[in-house]
Amino acid sequence: MVESLRKPFADQLEEIRNELVRMAGVLIEAIPRCTEALLASDLAAAQEIIDADDVLDDASLALEHHCHQLLALQQPTAGDLRAIMAALTINYEIERSGDLVENIAKAMRRVYGTEFGPRLRGLIAQMSEEATRLMRFAVDAYADGNSGLAAALDDIDDRLDRLNHQCLAMIVGEEGPEMGEMASRVQLALIARYYERIGDHAVNIGERVRYMVDGWRPPQSEEATAESRAGSTAGTDGGGSGG
Amino acid sequence: MTAVTDATAAAESEAFPPDVVFRVKDLDCYYGSHRAVRYVTMDVREREITAMIGPSGCGKTTVLRCFNRMNDLIEGARATGTLLFRGVNLYDSRVDPVEVRRRVGMVFQKPNPFPKSIFDNVAYGPRIAGAVPKRELPDIVEASLRRAALFDEVKDRLKDSAIGLSGGQQQRLCIARAIATSPDVLLMDEPCSALDPISTAHIEELMHTLKEEYTIVIVTHNMQQAARISDRTAFYTAEVDSETNVRYGLLVEFDTTEKIFSNPSDERTENYVTGRFG
Repeated sequence: MVESLRKPFADQLEEIRNELVRMAGVLIEAIPRCTEALLASDLAAAQEIIDADDVLDDASLALEHHCHQLLALQQPTAGDLRAIMAALTINYEIERSGDLVENIAKAMRRVYGTEFGPRLRGLIAQMSEEATRLMRFAVDAYADGNSGLAAALDDIDDRLDRLNHQCLAMIVGEEGPEMGEMASRVQLALIARYYERIGDHAVNIGERVRYMVDGWRPPQSEEATAESRAGSTAGTDGGGSGG
Repeated sequence: MTAVTDATAAAESEAFPPDVVFRVKDLDCYYGSHRAVRYVTMDVREREITAMIGPSGCGKTTVLRCFNRMNDLIEGARATGTLLFRGVNLYDSRVDPVEVRRRVGMVFQKPNPFPKSIFDNVAYGPRIAGAVPKRELPDIVEASLRRAALFDEVKDRLKDSAIGLSGGQQQRLCIARAIATSPDVLLMDEPCSALDPISTAHIEELMHTLKEEYTIVIVTHNMQQAARISDRTAFYTAEVDSETNVRYGLLVEFDTTEKIFSNPSDERTENYVTGRFG
């Protein structure tokens, strides 16, 4: 058993990890609740979700401050340094995903009164499930230091990307006019896009977990960028897990 | 250093990479029959700062003292394995240890100026080397003091005793004294451990400048210092021989300093730099 000679510092690192997992838990619960409110056109529930995001924002600022303190005062190295650097970026990904959930709730108010057909409802429910599942995997990978699971997220995210494309095709296709005015359709497209972006943030968390566990970094060369551009599916999603 | 003239050595020397100052391979250091340091393999590169870190008794100072054969002065001390300096076997019987120490200078943990004037301290090496005309001494002293970032502080009192200088100034004087003989390499054995943070910062800044002209090997207990100043870091640790129950030091990992402090390969390195033990 390896013990730290710097027990208080080790305890604080543990605290940061627990706090981040707790924040992720709040986010993971918020995604399906938000979808429920959206599909039920429940304005009160949407307002609750919008208000709840402030809690996540505050927690994120507090966590950032905590990481900053440890960097300034404890001179972390090696695995400890990577853990703090990873926590800082994962914190951002979670906070940003929380904003996207809030965006969905706000967009729902703008499409209030629009009838969603059964196919669109099904697609939205599936996107919500996928986004929740991806985020749950990402946080599990973080909590367990599981770089294998973290590395798999990019592939798992493909399904959410496909659902997003299906959703967009429906909105601009023959069924589009049945969804009401152009303004409503734009909001629906944005809603789909918000779910898809949550998946991208989960993939980003996976990359940070790999960095934390193995020191792995995404390839930076121009070829790698070109390759990922060529590899990403064409369309309006604006590109992969880039963030 | 005395030239080793036989054909094999010359061939070795030709093939030797010009940017490698010391090549250490499977070096073991003995004190009497005790094999105190084992399995040391590392290259010290030109115009880099190489740091050696590790807990007490891990052998880092012993290895440092091999680089200018200071261990010769300890009875019963010897080294086996390969230690090449610019391609030449440092422990070859034809190599003159005094010449080695002129080319490989050393700065110690505690500043140790001679009880002489500031000028005489710096002029000491060139004087006993005897190769310098007397009239050139003032220039050499000034140049050395300037390189050691001390000249402006002492230029009006070069005839004063060196003992009157502050600890940090004394250490910079020792560095000036070490570089006055135009060495190739500077060895530093915990050069800042007796100094306050400001003097430490002066020495670290100085090392950064000296790196442009010299190759530096430093032993330090201060891991953050190694992280701040060095290009490569060697991590040593102490283990207990399972047969004889005697402690010995060994080199665990040698890599770029960034790698050692951000993502070391060996778990023992990780535990040491993050302050864990197991």
